[in-house]
Amino acid sequence: MRTLRIAGYIRSVDRNRRFVIGASIIIVAVAYLVYTGIRETSVYYFTIDEFLAERASMVEEEVRVAGRVGADSVDWDSRTLDLHFELAEFDGAESVPVAYNGILPDMFAEGRDVIVEGSFTGGTLEAHTLLTSCPSKYEAEIPES
Amino acid sequence: MIELGSLALQLALLTAIYGIVVVLVGAARQRSEMVRSGRHAAYAVHGLVVLAAVALWRALLTHDFSLEYVASYASSTLALPYTIAAFWGGQAGSLLFWVLILMTMSSIAHLQNRERNAALMPYVTATLLVIAAFFLSLLVFITDPFERLPVPAIEGADLNPLLQNYWMMIHPPSLYLGFVGCAIPFAFAMAALASGRLSDVWIRTTRRWTLFAWFFLTVGNVLGARWAYEELGWGGYWAWDPVENAAIMPWFTCTAFLHSVMIQEKKNMLKMWNMVLVLLTFTLTIFGTFLTRSGIVSSVHSFTQSGLGPFFVGFLVMVIVTCIALIAWRRPLLRSENDIDSFLSREGAFLFNNLLLVGLAFATFWGTIFPVLSEAVRGIKITVGPPFFNKVNAPLGLALLFMTGVGPVIAWRRASARNLRRSFLWPLTLGFATGVVIFALGYRHYYAVVCFSLATFVLTTIAMEFYRGTRARQSLMHESPAMALANLVGKNRRRYGGYVVHIGIVMIAVGMAASSAFRVEVQETIERGQSFEAGPYTLTYTDLKNTDSPHVASMLAEVQVTRNGRPVTTLYPEKRFYKRQQQPTTEVALRSTLLDDLYVVLGNYDAESGLVTLLVFVSPLVAWLWIGALVMALGTVIVMSPTAAEQRVLAAALAVEERGLEGAARVVR
Repeated sequence: MRTLRIAGYIRSVDRNRRFVIGASIIIVAVAYLVYTGIRETSVYYFTIDEFLAERASMVEEEVRVAGRVGADSVDWDSRTLDLHFELAEFDGAESVPVAYNGILPDMFAEGRDVIVEGSFTGGTLEAHTLLTSCPSKYEAEIPES
Repeated sequence: MIELGSLALQLALLTAIYGIVVVLVGAARQRSEMVRSGRHAAYAVHGLVVLAAVALWRALLTHDFSLEYVASYASSTLALPYTIAAFWGGQAGSLLFWVLILMTMSSIAHLQNRERNAALMPYVTATLLVIAAFFLSLLVFITDPFERLPVPAIEGADLNPLLQNYWMMIHPPSLYLGFVGCAIPFAFAMAALASGRLSDVWIRTTRRWTLFAWFFLTVGNVLGARWAYEELGWGGYWAWDPVENAAIMPWFTCTAFLHSVMIQEKKNMLKMWNMVLVLLTFTLTIFGTFLTRSGIVSSVHSFTQSGLGPFFVGFLVMVIVTCIALIAWRRPLLRSENDIDSFLSREGAFLFNNLLLVGLAFATFWGTIFPVLSEAVRGIKITVGPPFFNKVNAPLGLALLFMTGVGPVIAWRRASARNLRRSFLWPLTLGFATGVVIFALGYRHYYAVVCFSLATFVLTTIAMEFYRGTRARQSLMHESPAMALANLVGKNRRRYGGYVVHIGIVMIAVGMAASSAFRVEVQETIERGQSFEAGPYTLTYTDLKNTDSPHVASMLAEVQVTRNGRPVTTLYPEKRFYKRQQQPTTEVALRSTLLDDLYVVLGNYDAESGLVTLLVFVSPLVAWLWIGALVMALGTVIVMSPTAAEQRVLAAALAVEERGLEGAARVVR
């Protein structure tokens, strides 16, 4: 009777161990995928001020920068879809030139907040993605009464 | 009326707090009149919230622009349906909407359980009222929907143009029903922990609620994808934006929960795990609500950055700490009554399915909050985009698809070689053959090939189940094939409804794989009369037209589509200009067939020269995503529809509980 119970106990520990191993494989697989995923796909995310401060170390890096489209800086060729503009600080003091080719997002305009994703050549941000971010998207301004 | 709405919210908050106190004291002291008073408080909160909601809707419909909320989200030219939908278009209103749904569900749950679950109900009331009190205090103290403007506006700013389409009418409410619906099983789980009634009664009582929440989570996510597909003009439907992630994470854990409760019902196992899952699901719904409103992660969806963040974090911490404390306290009662015998068993398959689903939720969570974490730890913000989520979630999703085929048909406890051969020989053979054929046809996108193989595998297992079940009924009951099939499904709704849901999942998987692997994208800048090719289609741009109305002006390009020289259709991709918000929006022109979607965007135009830039996507099989979602919805309805047998099981379980109660009471006496 006693031996039986012990045998049963060992069997149950054995089973549990098997399951711990099985579960661990999945957990390790998920952890591995997340780890390599982050390593291979992560992008630095800066506001324009931070980017301007760090730009020397960001040459040839993939970056994502949030800033404002500089006043009177947009040069857009609707035939070739080449776009050049200055991504400026929110107070408009300093800026970095951006080059982009493609369709303009609906909300793109001078003075709007945008997020630019691309690589930094050292002088220009070669953007492959241009997002118009609008923190006040759902909170529209109320017309003056 | 406005003052009344404001007052109703304040009273609702006070009533909720009163209800929490009275019902908990009543439960502790076994005073049934106090418990009853708590329940009445819950009904009263519901009534007051309805009153507040009516006040806000009335203000919107009467264009009361002295109200900041109305002036921000409506205007005198906004169409009626969108004026109604503006209720949930902004922050304060959407939070009020949350409470409105919560309290409606609370009243229904209380009515359903008037005569039963007497031991659980006080804690259910308390939990639901705590949640309501949290949202009500946000509405009363932080973001008041009834705030007046210093000077009334003469005109409203209008609803955001992106929200002015019919999806706005159904997507947010659906998602809210799903999110808030998760609160009911959570409340019963808390009640089970607090009262120590940890049998499967709470699970059987809330099964339909969980399915209801899951149904709307599924529908809400799919509608969101469809909305993005039609409105945003980038040819895709899912961008792994933080807000999308917020909506899909509870879906993953809720799906895991739906599966693992079956193991508890059948085998009395995984009790602890189920508690963890229901807690996780509810926490993720609150986290999702928080994510969209706090501005902690940048997202195209975010509401304004507001002072709500700390309150949500505080509430989340409170919920998690309470749950962990309760679970730790009840640990002895949550022990499994059975072991898992073998990997190759239904229990094992369900466990792996659960781990994969939680893995998906975890990976998504990690990617979503990674920028916040990296900034906190390393002082530098690092973000991950769609490539991360695709890379991590695609293999997990494929593994899950495989388990979809294995789980429902593998034997309980320990699958014999005979069972495995009988269940999987044909499906594996056909699945493998599908992969070989597709590969031989020259397709080299490995994930897509694997996905199609697995789809065949899963569909074959399901087809065999239907076939064998029908044949068995035919020979045993001497029914006609149609009759046998109908009875098979009708008498085993959970099982066969579940298969129908799985068929929907397979359709969605195939649609996603094909449309992401084999999508064709062409962008052309052309003049009137010129044409170009996109996939099998030839597109000719013939004209540029404009239309005008007081609310919106638009520019349409006329594009004639032919295939192999034969005319197919004429499409009108469009740019709209909403006058109030001074903002252009893109209206996609779409021709959808079962085989592929032709998706045309007017990217840019020059009204004088007539020069336009067209962006064209040809996405194969994308329609199966939406069809699959419909099939899933149908399956869920079959699973949810009540059967007499199920009612008997619940009644029996309740009777056992009541006897246990009486026994316990006798011992005490």
